Amino acid sequence: MTALEISGLAKEYVDSYSGDRVTAIGEVTFTVEEGEFVSILGPSGCGKTTVLNIIAGFVEQTAGTVKVGGRVVDGPGPDRGVVFQNHALFPWKTAAFGLRMKGIPAARRREIALEHLELVGLAGFENRYPHELSGGMRQRLGVARVLANEPAVMLMDEPFASIDAQTRRKLQEDLTRVFELRRPTVFFVTHDIDEAVFLSDRVVVLSRRPSRVREIVTVDLPRPRDWQGTTALPEFREIANHITALLSEGGDREGPELTAA
Amino acid sequence: MTLGRTAGPGLRGRTAAPASRGPRGRLASAFWFLLPFALLLVVWAVVVAATGTPMRIFPQVTDVGSAIADMWASGDLLRHLGASLRRVGVGALLAVATALPFGIALGASPKLAAFFTPLLRFSVSLAGIAWIPIATLWLGYSDQAVIFIVWNAMFFALTYNALLGVQQIPIELIRAARSMGTGRLRMFWEVLLPGALPSVVTGLRIGLGYGWRGLVAAEIIASSAGLGYALFLAQKSFDTDVVIASMAIIGVLWLLMDRLVLSPLERRTVERWGMKSVVS
Repeated sequence: MTALEISGLAKEYVDSYSGDRVTAIGEVTFTVEEGEFVSILGPSGCGKTTVLNIIAGFVEQTAGTVKVGGRVVDGPGPDRGVVFQNHALFPWKTAAFGLRMKGIPAARRREIALEHLELVGLAGFENRYPHELSGGMRQRLGVARVLANEPAVMLMDEPFASIDAQTRRKLQEDLTRVFELRRPTVFFVTHDIDEAVFLSDRVVVLSRRPSRVREIVTVDLPRPRDWQGTTALPEFREIANHITALLSEGGDREGPELTAA
Repeated sequence: MTLGRTAGPGLRGRTAAPASRGPRGRLASAFWFLLPFALLLVVWAVVVAATGTPMRIFPQVTDVGSAIADMWASGDLLRHLGASLRRVGVGALLAVATALPFGIALGASPKLAAFFTPLLRFSVSLAGIAWIPIATLWLGYSDQAVIFIVWNAMFFALTYNALLGVQQIPIELIRAARSMGTGRLRMFWEVLLPGALPSVVTGLRIGLGYGWRGLVAAEIIASSAGLGYALFLAQKSFDTDVVIASMAIIGVLWLLMDRLVLSPLERRTVERWGMKSVVS
């Protein structure tokens, strides 16, 4: 079943400084199947995050539709859970806030919260406030928060971009493990080619602005995956090189690498 | 490495805080808090004695002390104190109950904020004391008139700071809450209010300061009890010792309110949540 269906998405905005009309997203169409992990890659400034923000309902598109489970969505809703780049945890909350929104009784809420904290490797941290956690732990908590709410689609906006390289590897591996265990539907924004290939079933590659889908690359690598084993596969390199070539044909080879640094 | 680095400030804050609040730390902090006041009293006593200033111009420290004792013995102190505290309390509660929802609603809606901001700025200069003539015209020389002034003095500072507080909440937090299906009421109580709290506490501090000043002025003009009234009455009969005593009591009450109400509120909320640096 198709969980997420994006068709003919376009976004224009008026630059508030120059007054010019800018087309950020030309025409973007793709789908994410239920239980599938799809990443979106593109040169910097191509509007990957804008695509996510439109899906989440934070930003309004100029044209095109977003369907979740076959239903057109408009505005934010609990069917689409978002993991933000800078975690967006409530400094004043320790427990799973979103669960209360769904009207789940307190005892069950706590059970669900504890179960998901354990799932992301944060067992025993349930009484900590976000400022008492490290950057990596906060992002784990961000993932747990969304998983606990069981959204139809999990939207992840460069969640590991501001985390140091070593911790990032660990988080990527743990995310893969959780994905293989639970099979949520994931739409993942990144500028890191290896990350996209390692995590995804398919990778949507966008062109430069006004962005269009250049190619949807299928990543047919065996699961379960682990960083050392999977990245050592010749197929992994092949796919990664193919995507690198796609991006450089876009004429902005430096873009993604510069922002990755 | 990462864990140590990123968790560092928070953990350090937590270990440092209890140490400074232990019995010894508490004593030390009380000492440093009271020291400037003690010095002020000494300078005051010495200067008045050395210059031989007459009581009608400025009383000696001991005169003020015995004035306070007399006010206590006659029951005047409790009567005035009770009247003033009740008025400040009621006025402050009314101000919090009206200004917080209003300010937070303004902060959540850019259109409302744009519409009301010029009016708010205009009103800040007039808040409180300038309303006393109108208040007495409407409500007579009564408790209500004084309470109205306290409310009015606090309202704009509180509203403005609540508005700023909401505007400073990171957009991602609001988005996260919305993408969890948070309704309006929950949004107010669980996201906007706690998110705006650092700024709201500042607003309460400033607002209560305005409120006290408004109270004293209103009591001088529109009342027959309260510390402001005591001040006014004593001035009429040249009892400068009672005037200074009343002023001292007003100042001490303000300090107590800050230390017993606002500081604990801050410690339990914004400091506990890491929204305000503990080491400042």
